[in-house]
Amino acid sequence: MNRYARLVFLSVSALFMLVPLYVLVVNAFKPQQDILANPFGLPVEGLTLDFLAQALDNPQFNIFRGYAVTLLFVVAVNVLSVVLAGPASFVIARSPRRRYRLLMLAFLAGTFIPSQVLVIPVVYVLKTLGLMGTIQGFVLFETVLTLPFSIFLYAGYISTIPSTLDQAAAMDGAGRLRTFWQIVFPLMRPVVATMIILNTFSVWNDFVNPQIILGPGSGLYTVTTGVYAAVSQYSTDYTVVFPTLLLAIAPLLIFFVFMQRHIISGLTAGATKG
Amino acid sequence: MTLVLTACGGGGFADEAATQADEGGVTEVRVLVNITPNLTQTYWDGLVKTFEDANPGIDVKIEAPTGKGVADTLQQQLAAGNPPDVVETLMVDKTMAPQMLDLTGQPWVKGTPLVEEGSLGGKVYTVGVGEQAQSLVFYNKAAFEKAGISKPPTTYDELSEAMAKLKDSGYLPLRTAGDFVTGLQLLQLSGPARAVSHPQWHQDIGAGRLKAGESMLPHLERYKTWIDKGYVDKNALGVKYADGETGFFSGKSAMYVMGSWFTASVAKAEPDFEVGVFPAPVEKGQSYPGPQGATMAAPYMVLKGTAHKDAALKLVQWLVTDKAAVTSQLQQDGNFRSGYERKFTPLEAEVQKILDEAPSRVAQGEGYGENTLPRGFNSAWNTEVQGLYVGKSPREVATAVDRWVDGRS
Amino acid sequence: MRSTRAGVATAIMVLPATVLYAVMLVVPVGLALYLSLTDWDGFSASPSLVGAANYADLLVDPDLRRSAIVTLLVAAVGTAGLNLLGLGFALLVNGASRANSFFRMVLFYPHVLSALVVGFLWSAILGTTGAVNSFITTRGGEVLPFLSDPTWATITMIAVLVWAGFGVNVVLYLAGLQAVPAALVEAAEIDGATRWQVFRNVTLPALGPSVTVNIVLSLVTLLKTYDLVVSLTAGGPAGQTQTVAYLILWNSFHDARLGFGSAQSVVLMIVTAALAFVVTRLRRRGEMAVHQ
Repeated sequence: MNRYARLVFLSVSALFMLVPLYVLVVNAFKPQQDILANPFGLPVEGLTLDFLAQALDNPQFNIFRGYAVTLLFVVAVNVLSVVLAGPASFVIARSPRRRYRLLMLAFLAGTFIPSQVLVIPVVYVLKTLGLMGTIQGFVLFETVLTLPFSIFLYAGYISTIPSTLDQAAAMDGAGRLRTFWQIVFPLMRPVVATMIILNTFSVWNDFVNPQIILGPGSGLYTVTTGVYAAVSQYSTDYTVVFPTLLLAIAPLLIFFVFMQRHIISGLTAGATKG
Repeated sequence: MTLVLTACGGGGFADEAATQADEGGVTEVRVLVNITPNLTQTYWDGLVKTFEDANPGIDVKIEAPTGKGVADTLQQQLAAGNPPDVVETLMVDKTMAPQMLDLTGQPWVKGTPLVEEGSLGGKVYTVGVGEQAQSLVFYNKAAFEKAGISKPPTTYDELSEAMAKLKDSGYLPLRTAGDFVTGLQLLQLSGPARAVSHPQWHQDIGAGRLKAGESMLPHLERYKTWIDKGYVDKNALGVKYADGETGFFSGKSAMYVMGSWFTASVAKAEPDFEVGVFPAPVEKGQSYPGPQGATMAAPYMVLKGTAHKDAALKLVQWLVTDKAAVTSQLQQDGNFRSGYERKFTPLEAEVQKILDEAPSRVAQGEGYGENTLPRGFNSAWNTEVQGLYVGKSPREVATAVDRWVDGRS
Repeated sequence: MRSTRAGVATAIMVLPATVLYAVMLVVPVGLALYLSLTDWDGFSASPSLVGAANYADLLVDPDLRRSAIVTLLVAAVGTAGLNLLGLGFALLVNGASRANSFFRMVLFYPHVLSALVVGFLWSAILGTTGAVNSFITTRGGEVLPFLSDPTWATITMIAVLVWAGFGVNVVLYLAGLQAVPAALVEAAEIDGATRWQVFRNVTLPALGPSVTVNIVLSLVTLLKTYDLVVSLTAGGPAGQTQTVAYLILWNSFHDARLGFGSAQSVVLMIVTAALAFVVTRLRRRGEMAVHQ
């Protein structure tokens, strides 16, 4: 395929990828009959912000609160995940002992367990712990879901860091914990960045876990459960659907567009080393 | 394993519900409600506002389902040990009865609509605001006129004939939709005839004397011919509930089978043709109109585990007996209750007349009270009936329905 | 002294993750196993053991059979689609240039949207009254049954899953391509190998581990498809697009058959792990054959 053909092909593909986004954006500013008559056209009678305003004012789903709650979850899960998985991976990667190899396998097995399967029994575990329907319970469970893959990636990455480095630190009298946080962890930046990117997407976009663990009783909506509440009953009132969806995806999408170089190269780096 | 046992053996969500502590002397009553195009969150919030104003000590929190519907959501909340205090829209069944408060002793439940019919084992768990007529056929008067149909059909044969005429005059004879609508419409349409040919339908199925699918086979077969002849839209399964209504209002279709709450949609949509209504037809030789399918409108139950029993009871009593509250709910969802006068649209007046003239009331589908099929029947029935659109034969559908019932009893 | 202190430090480093993992992942799996042997409805006093009855029911349950077929179809066709497009586009956008980085972004962006939003969006585009169909019908055409015919709906669902997901595979394959020794490619080109020969004999073998990772990841992800079903088809038409994950939650909560749902969970877990294992094994054998 010559260069010209390649560019044409890629441009056509890109167009196909972007059509749904285009439909979403233009229709968020149109009244229903305009959407139905002319779904692919630009707003004919001038764009209206009414429906976007209506979506913002939805009694079932306060979208800004949804952003805030989801962001809180993203930050909490990421911090907790690094704090828990980092040191554990260090011990696993550095120890030749059989028990740590088994532990690694146990964690690895977790990557094959669909969270849809876990979420029902987890309800009873959280209930026993008194954490059902709470922020803490949800954050802990989401964190656990990130552990298997994090530990897999981190341990793989740590084993590429020469162990002479931490031996030198040990000679200087640093304990193991300090060695990890001060010497090894700073070197893990690329792989931690990869994991944070992955976890951010997965927590932000998760639906079934917040749907079931938070439930209506907690009064907590994430962006996805809020969208579900706001859209599912009105899935053919497009003046509700399009503006709500647009508001739901806007923050993460804008973040992605600005950070895409770092995000994609971060993911690539993590995937090569891990 | 200890954890496992405590987790399952506990079963005592009652004490846990108490964690929703009363703050500053204000009792919070959580109500899980159904959200529909008629009954929006805004409507519910506004409705209970009046109650809150009259009872400063009680704060009512309206909760919308987070699952697929109220039934799913309640189940999840019970499992989570975090159930609401009051649940709207569900009727008691054997699975739910142990979780619900027995309201038999409450003096105000007497005389609420269908309270006897909805009771289980002689006990009242569910109280409602009004009644809904189920077996109604709404029709486009202009379409009937154009097709030369002077009088609404009273038997299924006449109905099929009318459909042929309507089709010839360029109308889609019967508007239907996907979602839950497909199965519901067939239950509504077949209700009166079924009640005559199998008066003890629910009990007979429960006792194994009758097969649910088998007994509905003639209706399934007739429905299949409608699909084949194009009397219903072959792409209906891709149409959502709200869209089915909109489709009817566009004026291109002639009939729409739905419960009485559809009158509220008509009032809101103000279509540019006149909408009429007639009770669902019956088999040839049966007397018309047949028994009318009736369900409780806005049924409420109080959860047994509620920590705010008095407040919850007070709220439910208000919801089903207060004149203004009842009228508002009837008006909003197009439902009926004798003795509670409200301004009727001409269409609503016709429905009231149909209710008045019906020889009796019958439960339909999954039913309620003693007339109950296994939980989930309506959904299973709906899924199988939709199979008629995708190439299954009526016989296969009937067999699948019976296999489902057998697997549950 | 020193070894005790080191031991404490090690424990502090490993235990929190391990304990949390045990409580929230290992225990629930055990709980699912236990519940799958009961007839529990999810909230009544206590479950009673029914032995393997739920598993026996699984074998004859027509809903499960239908959804198992759909799920396997989605997993198989979807994995093929994700990987063919993923690898194909990775080869096309490999190399640092402005255009390439733009195309990478465009291919990847659907992954940033949640599957739930993707489903609602595509159902607004392809539904019976959606953008495409209202475009067609207002111009006098016939409705296309993207979501109302079982075959169409299944194809639509797979297509949307691939649309939303293959960008991730592009990125993973790009990472793999960096590991292809450039010298080897050049040498082959100097020897007069065609592009296809270079790809077949140099690039693809070097990508071996990447291919395995991509296939396993796609399979595991697709086998648990749930969110998209909820928002795109809601399981319809006629229940034809209900996946196993969808059915598990439906059975457990809507039908109050938590024991039966748990049995399905256990089977899904085993099938997922087994498929991942078999693929890894087969691929490893394949790679060894290439190297010999």
